[in-house]
Amino acid sequence: MDANPQSTPMLRHILEEFDQCADLIFRSFPEIRTDIVYFPSIVDQKLFTDEILAPFAQVQLDEVEQLFQQSQFTRVTESKTVIEGILAGSAAIFHEKDIYLLNIYGPKTRDVQQSETETIISGPHDAFVESAITNISLIRQRIKSSHLKIKEYSVGEITKTSVYVLYIKDIANMKYVEELEKRIKRIEIDAINDGGMLTQFLEDSPNSVFPQFLTTERPDVAVSKLAAGRIITLIDNSPTALAAPSAFFEFFSSPDDYYERWALGTALRLLRYLALLITISFTAFYVSVTTYHYEMIPEALLRTLAESRNRVPFPPVYEALLMETMIELLREAGARLPTKIGQTIGIVGGIVIGQAAVQAGLTSNVLIIAVASSAIASFVIPSYMMSASIRLVRFGIIILAGIWGNIGIAMGVTLIVTHISSLTSLGSSYLTPVAPMVLGDWKDVFIRAPFTFLTRRPSQSQSPNPLRQIKRK
Amino acid sequence: MMEKLSPFHVAVLVYMSQIGIVVFALPRQLADYFGTNGWLVLLPGLLVTSFNIYLITLVHRLGDGKSVFEIMERSIPKAVLYPVYLGLCSVWLIFGCMIGKKYVLLFQMIAFPTTNPMLFKMAVDVLLFLLIIKGIFTISKAATFFFWMTFWMYFLLFWFLPSFSWVRLTPFILQGGHDQVKGALELYTAYLGYELSILLFPYMDKSKKSLAAIYAGNAFLSLLYICLSLVCFGFFSFGQLKKLLFPLLDLLGYIQFPFIERLENMLYGFFLFLILMTVAMYWWGALEAMRRVIPKLKIPVLAFLLTVISYCISFIPKTLDQVNNWILYLGYAATGIAFGLPVLLIALLLLQGRRVSRV
Amino acid sequence: MYKRLSAVLLLLLVLLLTGCNSDERILEKLGMVQTASYDLAENDRLKTVYSVPVIDPESSERRQLLKAVTDSLKEARVLLSKQIDLRLVSGQLRTVLFGLNLAKEGLGDHIDTLLRDPSIALGVQVAIVDGEAGELLSKSFKSNKDTGTFVNHLLEKESSSNIIPPTTLYAFTRDYHDDGIDPIVPIVKDQGDRAGISGIAFFQDGRFVMKIPSKDGIIFALLRGDIKQGELSINLGERNGRKVRVMFSSMLNKRKVSVQHLGDNRFKFIIADSIQGSVLEYTGHEDLSQSKKRHELERDVAEYIRGKAQEMVKKLQQNNVDSIGIGQYVRNSLTYKAWKSLDWSKVYPGVEVECRIKVTIKDYGKYM
Repeated sequence: MDANPQSTPMLRHILEEFDQCADLIFRSFPEIRTDIVYFPSIVDQKLFTDEILAPFAQVQLDEVEQLFQQSQFTRVTESKTVIEGILAGSAAIFHEKDIYLLNIYGPKTRDVQQSETETIISGPHDAFVESAITNISLIRQRIKSSHLKIKEYSVGEITKTSVYVLYIKDIANMKYVEELEKRIKRIEIDAINDGGMLTQFLEDSPNSVFPQFLTTERPDVAVSKLAAGRIITLIDNSPTALAAPSAFFEFFSSPDDYYERWALGTALRLLRYLALLITISFTAFYVSVTTYHYEMIPEALLRTLAESRNRVPFPPVYEALLMETMIELLREAGARLPTKIGQTIGIVGGIVIGQAAVQAGLTSNVLIIAVASSAIASFVIPSYMMSASIRLVRFGIIILAGIWGNIGIAMGVTLIVTHISSLTSLGSSYLTPVAPMVLGDWKDVFIRAPFTFLTRRPSQSQSPNPLRQIKRK
Repeated sequence: MMEKLSPFHVAVLVYMSQIGIVVFALPRQLADYFGTNGWLVLLPGLLVTSFNIYLITLVHRLGDGKSVFEIMERSIPKAVLYPVYLGLCSVWLIFGCMIGKKYVLLFQMIAFPTTNPMLFKMAVDVLLFLLIIKGIFTISKAATFFFWMTFWMYFLLFWFLPSFSWVRLTPFILQGGHDQVKGALELYTAYLGYELSILLFPYMDKSKKSLAAIYAGNAFLSLLYICLSLVCFGFFSFGQLKKLLFPLLDLLGYIQFPFIERLENMLYGFFLFLILMTVAMYWWGALEAMRRVIPKLKIPVLAFLLTVISYCISFIPKTLDQVNNWILYLGYAATGIAFGLPVLLIALLLLQGRRVSRV
Repeated sequence: MYKRLSAVLLLLLVLLLTGCNSDERILEKLGMVQTASYDLAENDRLKTVYSVPVIDPESSERRQLLKAVTDSLKEARVLLSKQIDLRLVSGQLRTVLFGLNLAKEGLGDHIDTLLRDPSIALGVQVAIVDGEAGELLSKSFKSNKDTGTFVNHLLEKESSSNIIPPTTLYAFTRDYHDDGIDPIVPIVKDQGDRAGISGIAFFQDGRFVMKIPSKDGIIFALLRGDIKQGELSINLGERNGRKVRVMFSSMLNKRKVSVQHLGDNRFKFIIADSIQGSVLEYTGHEDLSQSKKRHELERDVAEYIRGKAQEMVKKLQQNNVDSIGIGQYVRNSLTYKAWKSLDWSKVYPGVEVECRIKVTIKDYGKYM
């Protein structure tokens, strides 16, 4: 693409910069002495026609100056700004010595669809997509308030990914916003591809197993977090939104808790904590009882348990680790394959391998029950990240149970608790509301009390306006 | 922004550092030393500890919530203070260490008769090390978490109500005991742990509630002790109780649920949380004292050194009896500190106050 | 820096942990003693039989028996562990059976030994066998191959229905160490084609003294305390040429006791039972729907129970066993000093015991 001989040095510089970018388009309108440069791949074609082609075709040379006075044209002087503008989906317009940017960004995106990872039964079904603008629009549609503030940052040396920080003024604590801002600015990396990746640069302890920022794909969750005084971070090209500060127990609540009747919501929450208990301890407990604490088996169960173990050639801990690994393999294979094959894998793996392993005497059927129920229980936890972390931790506990029985389990739990206690999320305690103890928050953490009782925002967000609603008399 | 311990956490910390290994043997000791209805002794126990806490709160009030070390350093030369700090550190360190060792020996008796107890001790010490290097706020958070994790156990006491009989309690008050003075001193170790609250001053809210929380933690513990002992005195017969070395284990072993029985095997693991917190608090106290002596050393390094030292010391006593003896004598020392330290501090504060007013 | 340190420490911990396996008790490699029986052998030696379940589902045997004659209780375990390819453990012990001869010698020491073992809890059932305990345990009855388990279930069921008082190691040692009550233990007997409970054994100082047949068990239970469930078959003799039998069921008893001091170390002990129940069988021809007749029957039943109870108390006093716990109440009515100076075993036979029984018929079935 040859530069126009009359073109300004600036235009030449720009074109040099984009040398060998095959998708760049350079168009000249000699009658009005104007050239434009843009990437059609990230530009909305309709906007381009309406905003540029149509007016340029009608306008006379002497009216051009006037046209560029319109507010959608931004006059720029720096070449760096021009390049950034073009990359961000603007058309750069060169007229005489002036340069204008016109934002006609409109990339191809996926339509808003249902969330794959966070499905719920009743409630809104839309989920975030890869376009941050669409995602922001999903949130804006829900919060019609001028207090919803959005700050934009650019992260990544090469990718220049847009990161948006959303909060509601007067509800979110600015302390957290500033902290988050500071952390975003500190990031030094060439490319960032997903919200999950971004979290690891923002979290207080990136080496911890446990996620300290809640990630969600659901706009309704994001909105409820915003209303609770938390901060949402969106990143372009990723459907994952981050909510911070977050607490450990927050990962066990699901949006449906609020869409169901409160009694049901409470029951579901308690069920999830039970699931946590089962996931962490069930298999480990089986290992510990069959390896060390045979006294604990009631007489009625003794024969069943002993008979099922009778033909198994390995000690219980190896048996358990084998089956747990098997389940993880199945899960991972199911996730990698297309949905329909994935389901088949689940059935084939679960039934055929499980049944065959028992018949071959490789595992006891009681263990199969234990492993399967703890796997199922782990899927009850709504946050995929948390459920994966807990599944990983479980292996450690099983090994400890195999080494020292119940005391091993207790030691494992101690390690976890010590670790979790030292975690923070944006500097606030990860264990709120248990430590620091805020009994008032318990009614929205361990149970889901009726809305008339949920009058305060969670203490963790330290909101300047802690009251959610005026108490009804 | 400086984090502060809320009153609830102070109460939990006090309670968690108090409840320890003694709880296993407490009802038997009461029956043995004080005879019939020995559980009544716990009431004066509550009074004495409350008085001691009153002394501690007095230090807080007079010293305006300043760190006790600062108060001491203001009027005593460092040369004199260093041996005091070393003393405090060693008593607390070894006391904590012996509590850990006793727990390990007990567990070994129940489930791991041939495993080397020092292996368990090492594991427990590693856990403790990981806990104390993270500082008092993490300790308090963990304590609160553990508190709720063990809270439900107290409801197990209801299981014994059908077999409870007032007739077995007898109307005799404290008859048939022996060596009451020795017993009282020994029993006092059951309450120890609250004295560490004196080190919490700089970390807690300067409100009356924080001080009340120290009383509350102690009162909760006493209530728990009383309930447990009362159940033991009414569930077991007096003569039987005197024969049971660790009545709590027998109580737990008697519980049968349809899906699980012999709960002592499992709940003993839960007691790890309680004992760990007790030891962690003592070690934290030792660490605080030691930091005054060697302020330049980084906390993890210092904690590591202390842990290694205490681990080496825990090799010395081999049997449960020897450990009991160590705990007994260290308990005397810790009791002395519990009363002596606040009294000393009050004296210092009064002296300093007079000097200030003269100026 | 300390992060790296703690990581190293954790690694060290895991390495250390994997080192020790000598205390493993892997379920299928254990020979779990479920029932143990002890008898007196010649020369004051102890004959021990252990019943260990056979776990293999393909085996026709449900249990295997290990037998030894030794000097002490724990020595037997050492000897017996050499007879079995599994690791012999006692944490699943459910029932301990003692032979009658051994019980006469005294059980105190043996029970102490059992309790010293940390793997044995207080919930183990204790029973006396009328005859040789080992023989009963070794016998395979047609209906129940595993005699030990059968006896265990039998004892559990019976003690839950109050026909015999619950007798675990806990209850035995509790009463054994209490100075105001003597322990009791159920008696199991080989009844030909099955084992059954034949009565209650009374102990003094851990030594078997006397027994009562099982049909009198409910009377004893009424004397001993409140009951929530129980059945009593009453023979009221002949009335108007007809044998009158009453089956009194779903009995609910509230016991109240009081002690009167008669001076000079003599006491009067009053047991007031208030019994409620329903009549399931009545062979007399009175019309029970009339409240007058019903009250008459109540009085008859009360009188019958009172007679039986008094008779039993007398028998207990003659044998000088205070299994009702009269001593506890007398003790609690005295000062500590007075109780300690009292030689209860001398005083007990002379205590006047009065039983006051009140019976209420709640209902009399669904048939006139």
